[in-house]
Amino acid sequence: MSLDALYELIPRILPLECLKARFMQQALVGLLLLAPMAAAMGVQVVNFRMAFFSDAISHSAFAGVALGLLAAVDPRWTMPAFALLVGLGIVMLQRRTTLSSDTIIGVCFSAVIAFGLAVVSRDRSVTRDLQRFLYGDILTIGDTEILCLGGLFVVLMLFQFWGYNRMLYIGLNPALAQAHRVRVAFYQYAFAALLSLVVIFAVWAVGVLLVTALLIVPAAAARNFSHSAGGMFWWALLIGVASAVTGLLVSAQDWACTATGATIVLVAFGWFVLSAAVALLRGERVA
Amino acid sequence: MAHTCMHGHTCPHGEAAVLFQNVSVEIGGVGILENICACAPLGGSTAIVGPNGAGKTTLLLTLLGQLPYTGTIRIAPNADGRAPRIGYVPQRLSFDRGMPLTVLEFMAMGLQRMPLWFGFGSAHRGRARELLAAVKADALEGRRLGALSGGEMQRVLLALALQQDPELLVLDEPAAGVDFQGGNVFCELLEGLRKERGFTQLMVSHDLATVTHHATHVICLNRRLAAEGPPKEVLTPETLTAIFGIHMGLVDRRAMPADGARCSDGCRTK
Repeated sequence: MSLDALYELIPRILPLECLKARFMQQALVGLLLLAPMAAAMGVQVVNFRMAFFSDAISHSAFAGVALGLLAAVDPRWTMPAFALLVGLGIVMLQRRTTLSSDTIIGVCFSAVIAFGLAVVSRDRSVTRDLQRFLYGDILTIGDTEILCLGGLFVVLMLFQFWGYNRMLYIGLNPALAQAHRVRVAFYQYAFAALLSLVVIFAVWAVGVLLVTALLIVPAAAARNFSHSAGGMFWWALLIGVASAVTGLLVSAQDWACTATGATIVLVAFGWFVLSAAVALLRGERVA
Repeated sequence: MAHTCMHGHTCPHGEAAVLFQNVSVEIGGVGILENICACAPLGGSTAIVGPNGAGKTTLLLTLLGQLPYTGTIRIAPNADGRAPRIGYVPQRLSFDRGMPLTVLEFMAMGLQRMPLWFGFGSAHRGRARELLAAVKADALEGRRLGALSGGEMQRVLLALALQQDPELLVLDEPAAGVDFQGGNVFCELLEGLRKERGFTQLMVSHDLATVTHHATHVICLNRRLAAEGPPKEVLTPETLTAIFGIHMGLVDRRAMPADGARCSDGCRTK
């Protein structure tokens, strides 16, 4: 399946010098798919305090790569597969044990990092690859990844459409949702699976260090702008997409020449500062 | 060691909506509930009373399937032969109070599939308003959920439970954090709704004054079953002293209505 027709549309809509290169067009398409997904999931991550969860998933990327090396499988497959395993595992432990949620995540978090580092440290040739995972590199995204992102985009938006209200119910009080006939377990596992996949793609774009920022900064800014749950969703989407596009374009300018991921997060942070100022002017507490 | 319940598989106080038989709960090796045999009569208002740490909330959570237990809990099927619809009013929502979520959105959340970011279906908006009006919370629909007072929150949670069109309404300490006046208003409201809609009510309470005027059936709990039956028979100074300690012998039984069922009488007594 060729995406050329799609890429050729881009310079016509946005006639900018930097968007003439194919890798920039691919990066833009990738970000236009990834940013709304991260923002939408971010709304739930922020409202239900799951930032630590997404941190643990992103750090499992190391171990995912390490597993790929051990099994001689392309890390592009082992990374999402391992992240899924970690995400679903954490939810299972949260549901089955009485340990507090952050303890469970903390234990899994350190275990996956230690595993990744242990394997990677055996093989010196891999260490240079590590930088790519720390800082991300959206500019190397290819057609296969874009098609995978597109598939995930459709599934995730369908889930958000079908389950947004139920997720809200569960986030407010799982026992209440269960008593009122919401299928809590199904939604919890489905959300964890989708979040794991989004996080792994986001590692590609902005790197392990900044994944959580990509999820929560747009949602945190959206919280300051809106008074309703519906409004917060749209604000987060708007801020996420605007930050991603602006960040990509700015990072490609000669005067900037910065890492794309970091630039995106900085733009999103600019939105947050603006939203906090608006909230302060309204005389509210900042989120 | 399993004892058999004194009354076997029946409720001596009428037809049972819920029957607890030898229910025990252990968390981390510590016994929270031991061999509870109790029932909630169909169509009645049952109160679970007892001191802090007596296992009142635990008993509710076993009923809701939220905690592992031993023994059996029988929930009578409804007229269609299915499991009854349950409405649950939790003690509190431990949510982020700064979260943007209006009361109307909170109500619509359980009514409509269409995500809140696409707005409200008009039928759902109407139904949500109807339910809020039923709990005298219609003025709150535009307010942020996190900005509600304890009593307002309680009524909105009740409206959410009524949305289930419940046959069994389960409430956990509905008067906790609400002042005396507010507690009485809530109690009258519940009484009226129960008469109108005919659900069975099961609630945890530590407010004995409300219970004595409101409940038709009382389960006194202190990790074990201390006593069970109509309030006038159960809430004797002896039982109260046994489960709460010396000072609780103060409830005046003569002030209780003879059949124990008329909430509003009690609520008007100031």
